[in-house]
Amino acid sequence: MNKGLRSGLVLLVLGIISGTLLAFVNYFTAPVIAVLEEQAQYDALKEFYYDVDDPNYASFKLSDDYNLSKVDIEDDYIQSIFVVKSKDSGEVSLGYLVSANGYSSDAPVAMLIVVDSDLSIRGYKVISHKETSGFGADIVDNDFNINVITDLSGFDSVAHVTFTSNAIYECFYQVSLRVVADFGGDLVD
Amino acid sequence: MTKKENLLKGLVKENPLFVSVLGMCPSLAVTTSLENALGMGIGVFFVLVLSNFTVSLIMSSPKLAELVKPVRIPVYIVIIATLVSVVEMLMHAFLIDLYNALGVFIPLIVVNCIILGRAEAFASENKPVDSVLDGIGMALGFTAAISLISIFREFIGKGTITVWGDAVLNLKFIFNFLNIEPISMFVQPVGAFLSFGLILATLTAIGNKRKEKMAKGVKANG
Repeated sequence: MNKGLRSGLVLLVLGIISGTLLAFVNYFTAPVIAVLEEQAQYDALKEFYYDVDDPNYASFKLSDDYNLSKVDIEDDYIQSIFVVKSKDSGEVSLGYLVSANGYSSDAPVAMLIVVDSDLSIRGYKVISHKETSGFGADIVDNDFNINVITDLSGFDSVAHVTFTSNAIYECFYQVSLRVVADFGGDLVD
Repeated sequence: MTKKENLLKGLVKENPLFVSVLGMCPSLAVTTSLENALGMGIGVFFVLVLSNFTVSLIMSSPKLAELVKPVRIPVYIVIIATLVSVVEMLMHAFLIDLYNALGVFIPLIVVNCIILGRAEAFASENKPVDSVLDGIGMALGFTAAISLISIFREFIGKGTITVWGDAVLNLKFIFNFLNIEPISMFVQPVGAFLSFGLILATLTAIGNKRKEKMAKGVKANG
């Protein structure tokens, strides 16, 4: 058999074995990762309603004071909208889980942007930055109430990645396109 | 070489970091806390031992070895990359804080010279059991080396030693006693190079002293 073909077959067989092994590991880790990611979204949402410096912060439950629901959206940018309704005042806020591209094309920068019913932004947070694994991780969990950003380049400074601000700009833009309609009636599908 | 020598050579005599000076990039980057160093060490241990075993298993079969030899480097890389991806997925699922802390350095284990180096230099020419022992020794040596650097950096830079999670040794009283502040530069990138240089210089000085003593002993006896 041709030497090149034989080498190609060796790599093909190895690739198949590796792929099978990775698929097997992914089969039982993917659900755990999905649960962790959803938990991270709710944890991020909680930060906008309670004082994180409160010593009892860990014991606060958002569902004690607010009615929570999550609506999954079929949109290129917005994946889900959290509807948070105060049990006391009945006031509604919307938390947009939105992803956009900074550089590549698989929308790896995900944000949570919470908007109150008067259309003011209650808070925002970067949930994940997966443009290149590990790069930009410094912006995840950054508290923008402490590190106040006044212009787009500030986001790049926090992330240490020069294209993060592109994604953040896009996230806010996409939310702005639909937020009025969402508060005005049913969620736009 | 006996099995014991195989296991122990990676700890001091052929330590991958302080003697061979391999795998420097991730080593300097993750050594900001002992927890990160231990996490990286666990990852490298898993990948190094399994990659050594797999490569040795393939190469110990004459037929397979003949097939693989012309494309052995891509084969090693596929094996190592697969194992690193497995480690990455497991860490993401079960050690999320460590996964976030290590960030880009988990995928970079793929190109860690220690792993490819041991696969090519040792595992491809030795039996699986010896290769596993070599992998264990080298991984422990690597973990010990980065742990030493991280303890030094974190202590000087922050006055603490983060063993794992909330288990933090607060040693700031030493700084308070000396009436000085921790030098935060040591947990910055520049501190990594300084720490590595200082530790390497100290170890080399100790090694040279030992050699000198041994040489004197040989002369006296001779």
